[in-house]
Amino acid sequence: MNAPFFKYGLFGDETSLILAFVIGIAFGFFLERAGFGSGRKLAAQFYFTDLSVLKVMFTAIITAMTGVYLLARIGFLDLSLVYLVPTFVVPQIVGGLLLGVGFVIGGYCPGTSCVSAATGRIDGMVYLAGMLAGLFGFAEVYPSLETFLHSTSLGQITLPALFHVSYGLLVFAVVLMALAAFAAAEWAEKKTAGKLPDPNGSLTALPWRLTPVRRLAFGLAALGLAAALAGSPYRGARVTVDTRDLALRASHDATSLAPATLADWIIQGRNDFALVDVRSETDFASYHIPTAQNLPLASLNADFAPRNQTIILCSDDGTQAAQAWFLLQAQGFRSVYLLSGGLRAWRDQVLFPKPSAEAPAAAFEKQAQVAKYFGGAPQTTGASAAPAPALPKLAPPVLAAGPAGATQPPPKKKKEGC
Amino acid sequence: MESPDRSPQPYWNSYWAGFGLGLVLLASFVIMGRGLGASGAFTTAVAAAAHAIAPAHAGHNAFYAEYLGDGSRSPLKDWLVFEVLGVFAGGFLSGVLANRLKFTVEKGPRISTAPRLALAFTGGALMGIGAKIALGCTSGQALTGGALLNVGSWAFMLCVFAGAYAVAYFVRKQWT
Repeated sequence: MNAPFFKYGLFGDETSLILAFVIGIAFGFFLERAGFGSGRKLAAQFYFTDLSVLKVMFTAIITAMTGVYLLARIGFLDLSLVYLVPTFVVPQIVGGLLLGVGFVIGGYCPGTSCVSAATGRIDGMVYLAGMLAGLFGFAEVYPSLETFLHSTSLGQITLPALFHVSYGLLVFAVVLMALAAFAAAEWAEKKTAGKLPDPNGSLTALPWRLTPVRRLAFGLAALGLAAALAGSPYRGARVTVDTRDLALRASHDATSLAPATLADWIIQGRNDFALVDVRSETDFASYHIPTAQNLPLASLNADFAPRNQTIILCSDDGTQAAQAWFLLQAQGFRSVYLLSGGLRAWRDQVLFPKPSAEAPAAAFEKQAQVAKYFGGAPQTTGASAAPAPALPKLAPPVLAAGPAGATQPPPKKKKEGC
Repeated sequence: MESPDRSPQPYWNSYWAGFGLGLVLLASFVIMGRGLGASGAFTTAVAAAAHAIAPAHAGHNAFYAEYLGDGSRSPLKDWLVFEVLGVFAGGFLSGVLANRLKFTVEKGPRISTAPRLALAFTGGALMGIGAKIALGCTSGQALTGGALLNVGSWAFMLCVFAGAYAVAYFVRKQWT
């Protein structure tokens, strides 16, 4: 069995909603148990009298972090399939500061305010109303902020990748840092609130006995140490292939995409797929389909996109694309499609379409519009002896001026993050 | 018959509550391949409401469009929406079991109810805006991204604490 279950198709969308509710119940339950339905308890974090926020948050983080590492390391969980919110450095710093200010003023964060409202806190309910108002106001000014919100993008990136350190080593470092922060927090609570810690619920209180809480801390530290010594949690480039399964998938018609469909997707501005051109850099430079990225077959590796991303491969006649298709399938990519007929078909069907006897004139009219959009030209006469038309220059109107009928807002993939 | 004790039970120890929360987060990674969230569900709700009231306006707003999907199904049939409904249910359940259900206002002794509610509203609005700028809130960014060692999430998390500590002094009357 392979995880994440949902992304390996173990159950569908409807079931995922039921599971969402169940996971939510558990989330809300633990938040309330921690005391996070109380704004006073949450805000006490910022006056050093009760540092539960720090303790709960970082215990949760290091528990999930070491768990993810171990499950990925033993090959159970495919870490590349776990959704990572893309990094935009400056917006996330600004947003974080605003959230922090809002936290101490409002007393809650969005998740804890739900628990607070559910347990009768009127300020929690008012907070929720404020949040809805804030979101509404934000939506109205969104267009003017869009450039800023997408600035300083680093893509989907982890700290180990940024700093070029091993993932396991960083896991261990974070565990140690969190344990040190817990000790400091207990010291601060004793100083400011003057309360004597309960020895059973504390990491630092005397007497030195191996209480369950200390066992938990030692356990997490030991798992962190194991992570520091073990290898990368990502599945390697060396893969085992189920040839029968792969052959079945390859023989399936649904692995290819018609040029006309791809043209429609590009015109609609869909951003839920990646178009990958596997030809050489020089071929790519001379002509490529708008929005395509170039990844020559020889340099194709598995890290360019998440495994669940829809990928459309193209090459001149489709041979190289088909080879890339096998490589990506073998590395666990779920939805890889071939541009059927390759760029040759793209040229004949999209850029320079010819009217056919059986197709109605209206259909050709639409084809002609699409062709013009991509900088091509419809071939009105059946003069097959004419010289092959030259490929368009590389600056077709990408999104600004679509043909009539293609100006409705693009159907976008819904956000996966919070 | 045992005599029911109606006084609120003490909260759990922070480390064990955090451990439980961490296991829930881990389960979400394993089952769904995504972490927990909260603010996204409210954005979907606002987008759906805007769409119901002024469809043309909402359809032309790129922000709403992102949460409304392609129109093939209700935007409210969304993973985060159901998860947050669960958070309400789970919080309520825990509150009932621990005798903590109470209509009250959380505040310090030095502030009256009306200003406290005004501050709660303001804080909520700031959080809504901040969460959209940062692509997530304490659940979706700090917890989830923290556990995945996400670069942006760690930058975000440090700034949440920095922002809160920087302003805490000025609203101390509200809490202490």
